Amino acid sequence: MSTNRSHEHAEQTTQSFERIFSSGWTNFKRSSFLSLGATGVMALTLLVFSGLLVLNFFTNETVSYLDAKVDVSVYFKNSAKEDQVLKVKNDLEGVATVAKVNYLSREQALADFKERHKDNQLIQDSIAELEENPLQASLNIKAKTTDGYKGIVDFLEQHNLRDSMEKINFYENQVAIDRIRGLSSNLVLWGLGGSLFLALVAIMVTFNTIRLTIYNKKQEIEIMRLVGASNWHIRGPFMVEGGIYGLFAALLALIIFYPAVYYASGKLAVVAPSLNLFGHFVGNLGWMLLALIGSGLALGVLSSFIAIRRHLKI
Amino acid sequence: MISFKKVTKQYNGDFIALDNINLEIKDGEFVSLVGPSGAGKSTLIKMLIREETPTSGQVILDDIDLAEVKNTEIPFLRRKIGAIFQDFKLLDSKTAFENVAFALEVSGVPAEEIKTDVMQVLGIVGLSGKGANFPRELSGGEKQRIAIARALIHRPKIILADEPTGNLDLVNSYEVVKLLWKINEIGTTVILATHDREIVNTVSKRVISMEHGKIVRDQTQDGKYII
Ligand SMILES: Nc1ncnc2c1ncn2[C@@H]1O[C@H](COP(=O)(O)OP(=O)(O)O)[C@@H](O)[C@H]1O
Ligand SMILES: [Mg+2]
Repeated sequence: MSTNRSHEHAEQTTQSFERIFSSGWTNFKRSSFLSLGATGVMALTLLVFSGLLVLNFFTNETVSYLDAKVDVSVYFKNSAKEDQVLKVKNDLEGVATVAKVNYLSREQALADFKERHKDNQLIQDSIAELEENPLQASLNIKAKTTDGYKGIVDFLEQHNLRDSMEKINFYENQVAIDRIRGLSSNLVLWGLGGSLFLALVAIMVTFNTIRLTIYNKKQEIEIMRLVGASNWHIRGPFMVEGGIYGLFAALLALIIFYPAVYYASGKLAVVAPSLNLFGHFVGNLGWMLLALIGSGLALGVLSSFIAIRRHLKI
Repeated sequence: MISFKKVTKQYNGDFIALDNINLEIKDGEFVSLVGPSGAGKSTLIKMLIREETPTSGQVILDDIDLAEVKNTEIPFLRRKIGAIFQDFKLLDSKTAFENVAFALEVSGVPAEEIKTDVMQVLGIVGLSGKGANFPRELSGGEKQRIAIARALIHRPKIILADEPTGNLDLVNSYEVVKLLWKINEIGTTVILATHDREIVNTVSKRVISMEHGKIVRDQTQDGKYII
């Protein structure tokens, strides 16, 4: 009797995990109504968080749409020779911020124009009447990033062949883009603030639910400590309980989120057919699962960790 | 070996529950700790399972200063020391067998080992036939014997009994003490805190008398309940 047996080796057996998980699951079931509250608030938090992802999607789509529209076009006077135009093109290609330069010769411009209006006899006839090609040679320049355009315009303005250029066109979508970015980052900031606030509420509600479970299991905890239960066995079930709230909250949020996005996507398709909201989130289903379940688990386990730290003596 | 070195315990900063206790208990001893209610017996016992820590002084168990035991090591300390109490501390929702088995389950012992071990200790306390009964179906004496079975399950070196007969009649009290005696005979150190004069006089071993947090008498042999 006096030889002390040590059970250290058995500390982490699968049976231990089973015992801890089934005990946590029982805790969850027993606090039915409170569990609903904790799960609900957490699901709401995760939904607001998902809303931020939708907002982010719209911002990115809009900005990249506008980005694609930004360019600089420079039109050359008819007196400009082709090798002058090509010289400017060559110089532009040496500029670090330039991604691509497209040369449109006068002949090509005319051909394109004719092609575009081949159904319009009036235009075709008018062109045939003209002695000289009325269209100008042009260079179309794309920058690597949107903030590169300003510098490219300046570069052209100071070029020694500036005199052969008729005009430099810069579509200043930049202002619109900046405004959208600003608006979106404001919204994101508010959204983040909202999620953070809701996360705090969720943590408080879950914390209280678990505190109640701890209180209800006072005697059992006292006995566990007395008989030398491992700290894992004492604390684990409450962590599991918190984790289950998070898991169910994540599933609930997903069940609400996807149909909602599907519905919104249908409405949106009428206005902006190129935006595939639902498709985007279906394509990223794996990441959404990971993000929502991960944050749900983190919220739940964190709440129970705080409750344990404050209310559970080991 | 247990030793208390100049142990003082103050509650709430001023009330002195233990006052400069110096004490040695050797392996295999049977010690009765006596004294009126409030003398500090329970506080002394709680120090051994690290429920309480001294305000000053040291409690040393086998060369280990208990104040230095880390949180993660406390469970292992408690498995070396079995404890029983006046109120039994059994779970009403579990059978006698399950109550004992619970101590092993929460210590991570595999299920196959649990069954044989529980049957063995139930045999030691003479309740092999009562494993399927719930606490409400057992007499006070039987409940305490189940608690003793649970205390024995980790094969501890020391058994602490804090007023184990407080809720029992004389016959049942005597049964429990006989059981503690038997456990002591197979080499386990037993510390029995009680203010029951009859019990102490029956045991007639080492008796330590306490009063107002102090040890007032230490009779090493054939001790009687004197304060
Ligand atoms: N947790 C506590 N807080 C404050 N006072 C306590 C606490 N535990 C015990 N005491 C006091 O310490 C004294 C000794 O208590 P205790 O050790 O339980 O005595 P005994 O077991 O001999 O009856 C008592 O006066 C009691 O009121
Ligand atoms: Mg007491």
